[in-house]
Amino acid sequence: MKALLLVLCLLGVNHFASAMNHSGMIMDEKGMIMNANSDKLPNDCKKISENIDITIHAGHKHALKFNGKMFAFDNQEWDVKPCAKINITFINDDQIRHQLMIHGLPGYLYPEGMFHLELNGEGQLQASLIMPSQKKTYLVHCELPQHMEKGMKAQLKVDGGDGDLPSIPGLTAPVRADFYFVDWTQLSLSVLVFSALLGCAISFFIILNRTRIKDLFTKYLIRSTQKGG
Amino acid sequence: MTFKRTILLLIIIFTLTSFAIFIAPRMQEQAEITPPQTVYNDSKDNNNIIIPCPNEHPEWRAAQIIDDVNIDAAPSCEPDNPYDIATSVKGTNNVSMATLMQTNLAQDALTMTDDLDHDGDPDVVHIKLEVIELNGSTPDGDFLINTFDIAPGIQPGLWVYAPKSRGMALKNFNSVVANPMLRAPSPVIRVEQDDKVYITLENTHYLPHTIHLHGVDHPWLNSKGEDNDGMEEHAVFPGKSHTYEIKPRHAGTMLYHCHVQTAQHFMMGLAGMFIVEENRPNNWLQTFNIGAGQVRHPSATVKKTFSQEYDLHYQSVDKKLAKIIQDANDPRLVAEHMSRDYNMTESFENYFLLNGHSFPYTLRDAMIIASENEDIKLHIANLQRSAVAIHIHGHKATITALDGVDHPPAIQITRDVFDISPAQRIDLHLLTQNNGLNSYGPGLWMFHDHTPTGTTTDGLEPGGNMAILAYKELLDEQGMPKMHDEFFDQLFNKNYYAKNMAIWGEGEFAPLLADAGLLAPNYLQIILFGLTIGLIIGVLLLIILAYKRNQKQ
Repeated sequence: MKALLLVLCLLGVNHFASAMNHSGMIMDEKGMIMNANSDKLPNDCKKISENIDITIHAGHKHALKFNGKMFAFDNQEWDVKPCAKINITFINDDQIRHQLMIHGLPGYLYPEGMFHLELNGEGQLQASLIMPSQKKTYLVHCELPQHMEKGMKAQLKVDGGDGDLPSIPGLTAPVRADFYFVDWTQLSLSVLVFSALLGCAISFFIILNRTRIKDLFTKYLIRSTQKGG
Repeated sequence: MTFKRTILLLIIIFTLTSFAIFIAPRMQEQAEITPPQTVYNDSKDNNNIIIPCPNEHPEWRAAQIIDDVNIDAAPSCEPDNPYDIATSVKGTNNVSMATLMQTNLAQDALTMTDDLDHDGDPDVVHIKLEVIELNGSTPDGDFLINTFDIAPGIQPGLWVYAPKSRGMALKNFNSVVANPMLRAPSPVIRVEQDDKVYITLENTHYLPHTIHLHGVDHPWLNSKGEDNDGMEEHAVFPGKSHTYEIKPRHAGTMLYHCHVQTAQHFMMGLAGMFIVEENRPNNWLQTFNIGAGQVRHPSATVKKTFSQEYDLHYQSVDKKLAKIIQDANDPRLVAEHMSRDYNMTESFENYFLLNGHSFPYTLRDAMIIASENEDIKLHIANLQRSAVAIHIHGHKATITALDGVDHPPAIQITRDVFDISPAQRIDLHLLTQNNGLNSYGPGLWMFHDHTPTGTTTDGLEPGGNMAILAYKELLDEQGMPKMHDEFFDQLFNKNYYAKNMAIWGEGEFAPLLADAGLLAPNYLQIILFGLTIGLIIGVLLLIILAYKRNQKQ
């Protein structure tokens, strides 16, 4: 009997929990919005500091300005004031699904710390969120497999942010960069040979004139100590 | 030099060397924030572009009658020479000299005489075959001779049987290209059941060969008491000839191939289809189907049920084996390299051919061209090393015979992938009725071996034995598929099959998917490295000089 009660309790709780999770989600055939927040202030904010409208395009054509990428947002970095309210217009220029996810937000306002817009195809969505006051850099990306890896990655900085994220197209270097062949030309090879000869000459020059160099060096030392004294 | 100084210099050298290793510039470097720019395909390189359809003989396409022989229309880009067909039907001894002159056949290549059973067709047939090397070597220069391109710029060394020919083996005096009769695959040979057929191998090659009639009813010895099975120990040596004699009692799709050093010689291309047709009155057969493909003069039996007939010869090439005949000219070296140095158990198949061509050249002469509601007979032979799994897009065909033995109607299977082991044959009934089962309607439907390697040319897609089952209305006046212009521009290019072109190097996505360029050299790094190396060498030289001076003292 106890066990049965326990099971019923657990089921009830579970049901309740999943309903909670769904509370932040609006979904239709066009896409979905999760955890939009246009009015709840973060605990550390007394009021909204600024109201910013940001339009973010997503699609393969935005990767054209970066070498070696396939998908991208039209912008890779935004900087807002602490406690800013951001009104995002998310536009998908591709015929496939793209997402705009912002991670690392406070969990009591944004379940799982996440703000999430998703478009099933071409179209646009609008939603707002209010940033906390903390000086921090947030990851903005599309989470479809290989979309972030192939360029759909950006960062949202509050109060200048607390650093840069790696591998943001055009902004920051990757942690594990690809290897490419170097364009070794006759010029670069000649520069190499010339530098080697020069290095050889320098070593000869130094060693053959070592007494004179030593004299010059001691003179300089004496002079500088005299000046100092 | 004092001990102290030596230690000091050694420490300097060691430090400099470590620094040099640390900053050494390399052939490949990692990109920082900005990877190298995209490099696009060079579309102006006209030397390597090939016209999709040379359209050399548009007059050969129409249905025609030559020397009383009815020849069906062949709308493809490269239709068979109708004079070859007329001669293959009547024999070199029964056609007019004018017709024979339009072919490259020797006057004794195919003689047909004696209507033994008085049914209106000749029953004694003498066939003469030669052995031809394609894309072979020459001591006269760094080029190949009697060339036959299986795909743009791809010329593997091949051996084929060919009907005995006459005149120039080259296309003309200024060319190294083989004349059109000398080509892969070995020709399909058709004879009638119960005919007395004499097949003479005139070995025009520089190595021994035989003809083994696989699956064809033949006595073990010929009428002279000599070998009639084409066995290794009865090889026909260069300059010799030997006649195999048959009177086949059973009809079906069979094979013939060389049985000397069989593994290698078979893979080199000495294998073809041998089809025994049922004995019917007035059944004049097209003895040779040169280059396989459409049979423009089908047999009486076939005509009763089918509107068209095609021979599909699947073949593969190991590029290492094929190269042996191109790397050396001395027959002793070729023999040694091929039989003892080359090890087929450690080899691969690199090229996959349908009727002697790989895609896109299969579009010129290896397409099946159909209309709706046709009954088409396909003879498929797997003459490659590995099994094939033939799949026709948009269609399901029915197996009517396996290895030349008819399947009773009750157990005839309809399916869309046909697995054929090496040397097996399969006869198919392809019905182009748009009924959702046999056909999904008109289209340019690909057909190919579904084994992943089969549609590649040396691993590069699209290639291999891929071809198209084309509905007539979707072909242009040259017999090439419509709606493929951009694709053709890319594929009919030697550079593509030399793997020098990005697959998606043109069009909207070229900036994203063409080749990554080279990284710019880092000159600061190069100069620092150069200087360091120079310093090390300088210091070392001085140590050596000082050491020598010390020794002199």
